[in-house]
Amino acid sequence: MFEMIKHRFRLMRAVAFVTYKEWSAYRTHSMVSIFVGPVYFLVQYYIWSAVYSGESSINGMSLSHMLSYFCATMLINYLTMDFADWNLQMLIRTGKFITFSLRPMNHMFYALSQKAGHRVLGLLFEFIPCFMIFFFIFHIDVLPANLLYAILSIAMAFMMNFFIHYSIGMVAFWMVQSSSIRNFFSLCEGIFSGSLIPLVFFPKSLQMASFFLPFQYTTFLPAMVYTGSYTLADITLPIPQVLLLQLIAVMIAGIVCRVLYAVSLKHFTGVGA
Amino acid sequence: MKRMFLIYKTCMKANIASAITYRVNFILNSLIMLIGNVLFPLVTVFIYNSNASFEGWTFKEALLIQSVFILSTACAGIFFNGIMWNTMSHVVEGTLEVVLIKPTSSLFLLLARSFEFESIGLLGGGLVMFVYALSGIDGMTIGSWLLFLLLFGAGLLVMFGVALIVAAISFKWVANSRLPEMFESIKSFGRYPGTIFPKAVVAVSSFLFPVSMIAYFPASTLIGRWEAYFFIAIIPCVLFAAFGIWLYTYMLRSYKSAGG
Repeated sequence: MFEMIKHRFRLMRAVAFVTYKEWSAYRTHSMVSIFVGPVYFLVQYYIWSAVYSGESSINGMSLSHMLSYFCATMLINYLTMDFADWNLQMLIRTGKFITFSLRPMNHMFYALSQKAGHRVLGLLFEFIPCFMIFFFIFHIDVLPANLLYAILSIAMAFMMNFFIHYSIGMVAFWMVQSSSIRNFFSLCEGIFSGSLIPLVFFPKSLQMASFFLPFQYTTFLPAMVYTGSYTLADITLPIPQVLLLQLIAVMIAGIVCRVLYAVSLKHFTGVGA
Repeated sequence: MKRMFLIYKTCMKANIASAITYRVNFILNSLIMLIGNVLFPLVTVFIYNSNASFEGWTFKEALLIQSVFILSTACAGIFFNGIMWNTMSHVVEGTLEVVLIKPTSSLFLLLARSFEFESIGLLGGGLVMFVYALSGIDGMTIGSWLLFLLLFGAGLLVMFGVALIVAAISFKWVANSRLPEMFESIKSFGRYPGTIFPKAVVAVSSFLFPVSMIAYFPASTLIGRWEAYFFIAIIPCVLFAAFGIWLYTYMLRSYKSAGG
């Protein structure tokens, strides 16, 4: 068992390293975030400063909490961002996916390893520079309330994002062109993940629905853990319970993804390979 | 001139024919584009539903600015935004010479080929939101409508300039698909009432990078909140578009074929 874990770890490290080297050639792609992130944040800063003029708290969030929230969502996104769906549908559509059936490693694990390498690049060229800008230039409290909890929550958000996107990518096993499905999904993710506006601003029914949708576990929940308090639909939970909730959601998403993967493979025909 | 009109008409027809052929994909993508772009007013809706507001702006006034932004984005999407992606793709694949050898202006041809019917859904959605927002605004005159159209046109010039600048940069910064994101982030200052920003930001967004002209200035004229400096800001808009055309034409010379 231990040997198998060690072997898998070595495989992941090798694929992650190669991916890191490959994407390092295009590091300016990642470095665009050093400009884009702070500019978007500046807009948010002025919007919310105007909205909070004369208000100390809106929907239970103070201005400083709101600004920290937006910084946290941006920073977390740099660590968990995923495009496994795009990659997978491209491999299926072009027939290149067939090469993975010859490799001594399943594609799902390979894609996860690739993501790990890609996000190390995100850590170096997006997360750290933007963290510095938010902390030293904007003077925003971007230090996590509890480092251990924040790391655990971000790690689970990383996995959750992967499972969701990989599952969406598997739609391509049934549909040749799945871009509209992926776009529709991105739309839902944009609304319900909390990256547009904290979920506490939503109507109560949608806040309740968020507990059962996978989206809040990728952004809203880790951002709230990062900032140190979690309330949704008037339910306030202590952070360890929030992490447990996230763990359950990630496990369910992982099981669904694994089952879908097994079913999808039987459906694959390597057209054009 | 007549020849150019015919070329543009042919390109338009080709794009519409393509949309009709792949109609399910067209309808889905139009809908998704519509929903995606009307998302950002959702923030305003939630803010006003929480009994908060942008100080000095009613909900419908704030919504009017955002609907004008959507209309502007839709017009840009239909008529010229595609030039960014077309140029990027030609540069990456090394196929631009197919355009360069044609006996007409390359910039014009690329522009004509950029006609994109898909944004028609967005235009429709923007119009619905615009009419809804107008229903809460009184005191509009023919004069304010004419001023609106003038400033709206100037805003389109800014968008046109941005599209050309991004496309021009892609000749040197090859295959950076995140390039438009940089300009999108700056444009987001134009989505909200200018009064929420400090004076320095207003000055930059009015005269240096005139994104306020995309929505804030035109919408303000309809509300009756226009100021004299809005008209002075038309000059940088024209200069911006002119700079875009010049830069694109200049950078076109640095195109290197990748053997396509």
